[in-house]
Amino acid sequence: MSAIKGIRKVLIANRGEISVRIAATLRRLGIASAAVVHAEDAESPAARAVDETCLIDGETPVAAYLDAAQIIAAAQRIGADALHPGYGFLAENADFAASVEAAGLIWIGPGPEAIRLMGDKIESRRFVADLGHPLTPSANEEDDPETFAVRAAEIGFPLLIKASAGGGGKGMQIVRSAEALAPAIELARSEAERYFADGRIYAERYVMEPRHIEVQILADAHGNVVHLGERDCSIQRRFQKLIEESPAPSMSDTLRNEICDQAVGIARAANYKNAGTVEFVLAPDGNFYFLEMNTRLQVEHPVTEMVTGLDLVESQIRIAAGEPLPFSQDEIRFKGSAIECRLCAEDPDQDFRPAIGELLFVRPPKGPGIRFDGGIAQGQHITTAFDPMLAKIIAHGATRNEAIERARRALSETVILGCTTNCAYLEQILAHPEFKEGRVETGFILANAESLSTPPLDDRDRRALLAAAALSDRDFLERAGSVPEPAAFMGAWQN
Amino acid sequence: MGYDFELTNETSLVHPVHHQAGDTLAINGQSIRAALTPGLATAEYFLDIDGERERVFIATRADTHYIHWRGRAYRVDAINALERARRAAEPSGGAEILSAPMPGTVVEVVALEGSTVETGALLLTIESMKLQTKITAPHPARVAEVYVLAGATFDQGAPFIRLEAIDDDVMEAAQATPNTRNGADSP
Repeated sequence: MSAIKGIRKVLIANRGEISVRIAATLRRLGIASAAVVHAEDAESPAARAVDETCLIDGETPVAAYLDAAQIIAAAQRIGADALHPGYGFLAENADFAASVEAAGLIWIGPGPEAIRLMGDKIESRRFVADLGHPLTPSANEEDDPETFAVRAAEIGFPLLIKASAGGGGKGMQIVRSAEALAPAIELARSEAERYFADGRIYAERYVMEPRHIEVQILADAHGNVVHLGERDCSIQRRFQKLIEESPAPSMSDTLRNEICDQAVGIARAANYKNAGTVEFVLAPDGNFYFLEMNTRLQVEHPVTEMVTGLDLVESQIRIAAGEPLPFSQDEIRFKGSAIECRLCAEDPDQDFRPAIGELLFVRPPKGPGIRFDGGIAQGQHITTAFDPMLAKIIAHGATRNEAIERARRALSETVILGCTTNCAYLEQILAHPEFKEGRVETGFILANAESLSTPPLDDRDRRALLAAAALSDRDFLERAGSVPEPAAFMGAWQN
Repeated sequence: MGYDFELTNETSLVHPVHHQAGDTLAINGQSIRAALTPGLATAEYFLDIDGERERVFIATRADTHYIHWRGRAYRVDAINALERARRAAEPSGGAEILSAPMPGTVVEVVALEGSTVETGALLLTIESMKLQTKITAPHPARVAEVYVLAGATFDQGAPFIRLEAIDDDVMEAAQATPNTRNGADSP
């Protein structure tokens, strides 16, 4: 029995861990769950987590999950009332949201107008600047393409070139000198066209040693807007988040309140509905600047769930169904500290190159305050067809230190065999003295590259590993077992 | 006879050694006593070494052993006789294998087996980390063997194409025949 009026069946238009995550809430709420599934994912935990699957195909597996028409047709075929887009793929595609609504389905997310306004970086920056909030100095190419390079250079170096439709660090370049500007503009434009089919770019000042601070927003259709606190997502590689936490370390309550209030103001002015995230760049001097808004559920939403005790997917569904928020800002309680680590199939010692392989053995961590959001299973083949993120390990503790220690223990107890992962690397970051002190900024990984590289194997560990390998090697054991004792020393047999 | 095991790019020779006091191993000539006992859980073992017992997780695929030891996963490759022979045979005269610089997906295969190609000719296009890279012929050559099809995923170091060097005369002769640049995609 569905606990929510008008929503009896939801189609999840995604894959991997987030589909598993959404399906868990649907099950708890008594809502039937369905997911679109490409053949490559047919045996995945995401496919098993739902009541019903709809096979989709495409030129590539990714293309299938981007095929709006096919996904909407599937939703109609199975009689879904609503569609949850997850994150990535079509989650921030305003046209898709509009088509879903036009097909008579409930879109679990902000409306297409809000996505159009806040999902586009240039549009949303203009909107926020008009509200009177601070932004980093910037220049848009489309204002006057002829003078773009000159206007960009006037911002001063270093600066960032970004794609208007961008996300996930793609199409983004740091430019440190005037000579490097022209080629960086060329490259950013071509990447923007390739990834987002939208070549619009802009330049903005690069704040030195910035922290990435974002605020989780919930807004209902009745004019209520609240924030669920902030997250610090400064630990990044290649402009992509690796570790996120809430509350942000070493931040005064005054600054925290200021940032959160500004985020609420922006969401309110945008007439935003559903869950969203307002992202800011925080400079070492305490000044902060609006960066962009993510009009969807974030990868790192679990840290907020752990400190607030709320289920953000449930909130999203209730808001989409027209229910008012059941709490006011004052009623939201923040408890302890939470940290999320993104477990990825990649090799940190090889510039975070994606790794592939068959997952021969997977053992998720357990323990107090530990949450494991994964979409992986033994026997699964990890390919480069999708994003390298395999799972998220989230730890909650009464204090930041407790959360860190719990996360470290969980990471060292997580076993994934058959594919290289960044698991031990994440533990090294959490163990780093600067991280423990809360001295984080987006350049942390580059600045500490040396102390974060894999330590060399000591002799004792090397011998233990070789012994373990030899004693589990069938050829080795067969030979070892078949040799008469004296012969072993005489070398009587050869091949 | 010993077995070679490769760990973090270092090869070590491991011998089985039989003693009345129990089996031991010799690693690079140094004798140690070690035993591996299966635990109750899947992939779980207990390794007794140097008088201590520690839990390890081990999964094996062919000659590769993946081992979780003290909070970190490692890979140990057993170098079997076949692999040893293959390594000894390298580099084979005149032939050259173009292999994957990093893991990725094959977007398009242009090279046809048996065709001759000029320097810089496109052989295949790959995609790694969302960037497309064109693999081209480093010199005039004959495409001896193509190991991959469009759509295939590969790991770093996976072989793509085996080329055989040819001299310029052959190249000129080959240019007189129709070229082979299209239609090599998999169905």
